[in-house]
Amino acid sequence: MKDKHFVIASGIIISILAVVWMLPVYALITTSLKTQQEVAMQDYLRLPQEPRLSNFVEAFDALKVGLRNSVIISLSATFLCVLIGSLAGYSLTGFGFRFATPLFFFIVVVTFLPYHVILIPITQFLNTLNLINTYSGLILIYVILNAPMATLITGTFFMKMPPELEEAALLDGCKPLTFYRKILIPVSLPGLISATILVFVQIYNEFLLGIVLTRGPDVKPVMPFLAELKGTQIAQWHIQMAGALITSAIPVIVFIFLGRYFISGLMAGYGKG
Amino acid sequence: MKYYKSYGIAFLVPILLIVGIFYGMLIWDFAAAFTSWQGLQPTWEFVGFSNFSRLFELERFWINVRNNLLWLVFFIVPTALGGFVLAYFLSNLGRAENVFWKIFLFPMALSFVVTGTLWAWMYDPSSGVINTILGGIGINTSRLGWIADPKIAVYCMILSAFWQYLGFSLVLYLGAIKGLPSEMIEAAKVDGASRFKILFRIIFPNIAHATLICTTMLAITTLKVFDLVWIMTRGGPGVSTEVLPYLMYRLTFESRDFGMGAATSIVMLIFSAAIVIPYSLWMLGKWVRA
Repeated sequence: MKDKHFVIASGIIISILAVVWMLPVYALITTSLKTQQEVAMQDYLRLPQEPRLSNFVEAFDALKVGLRNSVIISLSATFLCVLIGSLAGYSLTGFGFRFATPLFFFIVVVTFLPYHVILIPITQFLNTLNLINTYSGLILIYVILNAPMATLITGTFFMKMPPELEEAALLDGCKPLTFYRKILIPVSLPGLISATILVFVQIYNEFLLGIVLTRGPDVKPVMPFLAELKGTQIAQWHIQMAGALITSAIPVIVFIFLGRYFISGLMAGYGKG
Repeated sequence: MKYYKSYGIAFLVPILLIVGIFYGMLIWDFAAAFTSWQGLQPTWEFVGFSNFSRLFELERFWINVRNNLLWLVFFIVPTALGGFVLAYFLSNLGRAENVFWKIFLFPMALSFVVTGTLWAWMYDPSSGVINTILGGIGINTSRLGWIADPKIAVYCMILSAFWQYLGFSLVLYLGAIKGLPSEMIEAAKVDGASRFKILFRIIFPNIAHATLICTTMLAITTLKVFDLVWIMTRGGPGVSTEVLPYLMYRLTFESRDFGMGAATSIVMLIFSAAIVIPYSLWMLGKWVRA
């Protein structure tokens, strides 16, 4: 096949698939704007006659406590993960410790083991500390589970730093903490953004810990709220879809504007950096 | 900075604590799997392997294992292969690539809870999107139950995860293909190799690292699909879509049989360690060389 034909054929195949991939999202958005009568007509591909924003008000009402909780928990946990992770990443890459290699191995293993295997000890751990159903309990667990990933990503970025930079800073009498704050962090900002985005999205999207470590709605994150909304609004697709849109707004906006960092974080975390 | 090693140690303290707690929990879990613990407080009364033998006697456990294996095969192979072929198509498209990768990758930013809510509606037998569209073009949908049909429910669920993860493998392979030296492919073209041959005989073997990363990450994902199962079917119809983390959850937090729950965790741990440890060694090798 000639190159030109092949490019056209690839373009057509990819375009068709892209349409198929977006179809569920199209149905989701249009349905979230319809009235119940319109939804009952089951003409899901038709545009809504008159966009109805009250669905969003209704869904938001059911989700707002969860959204607040999720924002508080995810932001604090992400900040702590990136702080702890970047300090550890610096320590592992910048000091030439001989034990850095075995420690790196142990960190990689806990990064990739599914946390489900330690779900029972996690609940017992928080029980012992009396932190079930508290913000600090959830934040603590999310930090334990995600700081290793932050270490991997930031460490991978720090490794790319030219060693001369550090030597020069050392000659100028710059201490490690100053070097970390004034040079390492600004220079590896893309790596930090990647780690932040990846950890944040992971925590925000998490569901199982949210149901196991909370009782009642007070500190419960948003994903369990969405699951409840789905359970109570049976076949009320317009409300369910409005709720799905509201809960995904934050990660999707992050993805649209910072998608490049999302990818470089994925690649660094998975060993391709 | 060898003069400041004490700083380096101090920076490590938090992550050391965290990693220590994680491994401590693994050991704790292991011990709990050998106790007769039921109810709220740990009993630490050791009963040997009886939790495991009770677990292995459950037909439900084996349905779970089978489902996990189905996920392993029918999720990983299509997602990795599909992503690879699409990446090749996309690598020929020049600038248009920038629009397309975002379309395919954005579902990765969604929670399994959102994907599950969306796809439970897509698959709904009476008023779902798929049956409505099929009915609209004159297909009899009365026997198409999708996730309500125990025979195909697992595959339907896998398909929704495929929708979510295809972009991941696409982007991974796209990066790898673009990293190949162009002379390699040009030389094969001059030799008259067909596109199919170039794709599978030249490109594929030279980006084995992408395949390793992709299949490993997808395999780990199959051990985490709890959320999707919970949202879409609650394990049903019957127990036909349950996977091991779901069984572990039910045994532990619904039947309050912590000993058996912990035993299920250990089975999951063995599965995951078989994937994670070789992969970590590979990453370690790259780290040491860097």
